[in-house]
Amino acid sequence: MTAASSTQPAGMTALTAREPVVVDELVTETAHRLFNELCTHEAVQAAEDNGAAPEIWDAFCETGFDLIAIDEAAGGSGGTLAEAAEVLRMVGYHSAPIPAAENGILGGWLLASAGMDRPDGLVTVVPPSAQGPTAGCSIALAGDGSASVTGEALRVPWARIADEIVCVCEHDGQSIVVAVPASQCQITPFVNMAGEPRDTVRFNGAAGRAAPAGDGVNADSLIQRGALSRVALMAGAIEKMCQLTVTYTNDRVQFGRPVARFQAVQQHLVWAAQDAALVRMAAECAAREATRDCADFEIAAAKLIANQAAARATKACHQAHGAMGMTQEYPLHHFSRRLWSWRKEYGSDAHWSAALGKMATGAGADGLYPLITGGTAALQ
Amino acid sequence: MRFTPTELTGPELDLQAEVREFLAAELPPGTHEPGLGMAADHDREFSARMAARGWVGMALPSRWGGSDRSAVQRFIVVEEMLRWGAPVGHHWVGDRQTGNVILKFGTDEQRERFLPPICRGELGFSIGMSEPDSGSDLASVSTRAERADDGWIVNGTKIWTSNAHMNDWFICLLRTSPMEDGNKHAGLSQFLIDLSSPGLEINPIPFLDGSHHFNEVTFHDVYVPDINVVGDPGMGWHQNTTEMAYERGGPDRWLSPFSTVEQLLRETAGTPMEDTVSDLFGELAARWWGIRNLSLSVARLIDEGEAPSVESALVKEMGTRFEQEVVEKLVQLIDQEYSPESESLFERLLAQCVVTFPGNTIRGGTIEILRSVAAKGLQGLPA
Repeated sequence: MTAASSTQPAGMTALTAREPVVVDELVTETAHRLFNELCTHEAVQAAEDNGAAPEIWDAFCETGFDLIAIDEAAGGSGGTLAEAAEVLRMVGYHSAPIPAAENGILGGWLLASAGMDRPDGLVTVVPPSAQGPTAGCSIALAGDGSASVTGEALRVPWARIADEIVCVCEHDGQSIVVAVPASQCQITPFVNMAGEPRDTVRFNGAAGRAAPAGDGVNADSLIQRGALSRVALMAGAIEKMCQLTVTYTNDRVQFGRPVARFQAVQQHLVWAAQDAALVRMAAECAAREATRDCADFEIAAAKLIANQAAARATKACHQAHGAMGMTQEYPLHHFSRRLWSWRKEYGSDAHWSAALGKMATGAGADGLYPLITGGTAALQ
Repeated sequence: MRFTPTELTGPELDLQAEVREFLAAELPPGTHEPGLGMAADHDREFSARMAARGWVGMALPSRWGGSDRSAVQRFIVVEEMLRWGAPVGHHWVGDRQTGNVILKFGTDEQRERFLPPICRGELGFSIGMSEPDSGSDLASVSTRAERADDGWIVNGTKIWTSNAHMNDWFICLLRTSPMEDGNKHAGLSQFLIDLSSPGLEINPIPFLDGSHHFNEVTFHDVYVPDINVVGDPGMGWHQNTTEMAYERGGPDRWLSPFSTVEQLLRETAGTPMEDTVSDLFGELAARWWGIRNLSLSVARLIDEGEAPSVESALVKEMGTRFEQEVVEKLVQLIDQEYSPESESLFERLLAQCVVTFPGNTIRGGTIEILRSVAAKGLQGLPA
């Protein structure tokens, strides 16, 4: 046993309460109504078969949600990151087949941070891979704000319908945002497990625009923001998956009663509902902190929670559905396959556990509970 | 069902800092033997010192000795006490539920008699629900109270009664009229019974490791005066169900292994840590953060006048399973043969977790019963 320390243990100083972050309910309602009408089972399936759903994207753009949380001064629609996360939660809830995260809070954010104009049309982002921001690519910068990119980027969401492809890279110790017109690139279709476009982009010396990234914007902060986007999407998908499961097990009669009356089936319902509640809570808390300030702990915790919950909830919901859930004709797969894919995007379980482990062990024994209650603010 | 995110206000954060300062002075980290959540030691003096701060029965009205504080403020005090492994055993039941039941269903005379000493941390309560033939099917209890002059005569047996050998009072669910066909919830009443009453016999039921927490309490013609009946005779089931809502979903359902995890971090400080161990600390911090936010939102709902029984059941079912998972992960990772007699405090705590935590998903309603409550709520059926 260690001796009592003469210094005060961590967490003794009261944190200061901060301004509440309020999400306008109209954001949720508007997004819900829009997708409820457009993202039918058939429409989502058709988007998967065709690789895009331009009519859904156009309707989405008409609401201004495509540029939410980007300052109006930078050509965006305004609103907070928390509101953008709420829109993404609705995208996930309806499995809307559109690049809502890539165009707005990821690509739009990178461009705005570097003071670069938005192109007309759709923007996507090269996800920084584990090997570096643009694995297999090299970038040559000219002094006049132009850049040429060579090499290959993998798993670029929706590149096939994008007008510009944005990445962030390190150059002489500085983070640079580079934007390349898609027309300059060779794009080979590839998909994730949900059939969502995750294309291979060959740059072949493509000419683009470049500018230094804004303060705090780099590959790490892009991974973090990407993770927040996936957590919000996953929160919506798990919630909808649970609702489908409650409805199905109430309607499906076996042995003379709805299968939801069987305790063994109720266990699946309860476990899935817990995961839905947990991920939504994590998503909302992480978005709230990210709206205010640095949210290193909250986003890492939320993505790990969402990844683990996705595994458990998809298992529970599939089991409760029986064979019907294994068919293309029944919509469960729109949600379960997205969850399996999003779980692996912007940080696996191992990635975020390692990051969280550094924070937790760094906080030390006395600081561990203050970290759990105070989050990132307790680390500062 | 909806868990709305909430966070602590300025005064609530001040209270949190005040509780931490109190604990750091009372029980400096690394110098006391922490307990495992609500299974911590009974210490009447510690309870009295907490009470002197206004932290026992704190959500009860000041008219009855409480501090007019909220469920969230009580949550803050309780979570800090539990994470510290502080000896909260003596006042635990009275603070968590019995005080609320007496406030809600008792007479002014009962409030006057019981609530001020509860708030002074003086009264230890045991709970009398289960019987030899009534466990999860609680409405089938058969210990009966029969009418006598100005009171009742009680006969029968209660079991699994935690700490009856140390406590002062017993809040009991008894049958006051025979079981009716088709309405087994009728005819039950709640009684406050002095544990030193003549004819009341307390015998230990040794815990699997030989320790003494459980008891069998047998009533041989025990006289209980009318003034000790809580609420209206026959309304016991309803009152008991309300009481359960206070019992579920709080930090005691997910913090029990925290002191063990914290102690591992304390004992490994300064030595190189394997990535798998570091990753586990990270994962546990994340999961505690998530579950705490759900549990905190339940406390906020209670303050808003809601009765979040489905939410509470979901949190308790998840929290107690999480507690067991924490222990399993530690067991898988730690290459030591821990024992209750290990030199290392961490190892002693872990050994205690392994042996006692199977009970966490049983006490206060098994997780199977909780799932049935929660599933009915999810389907919009009455629980």
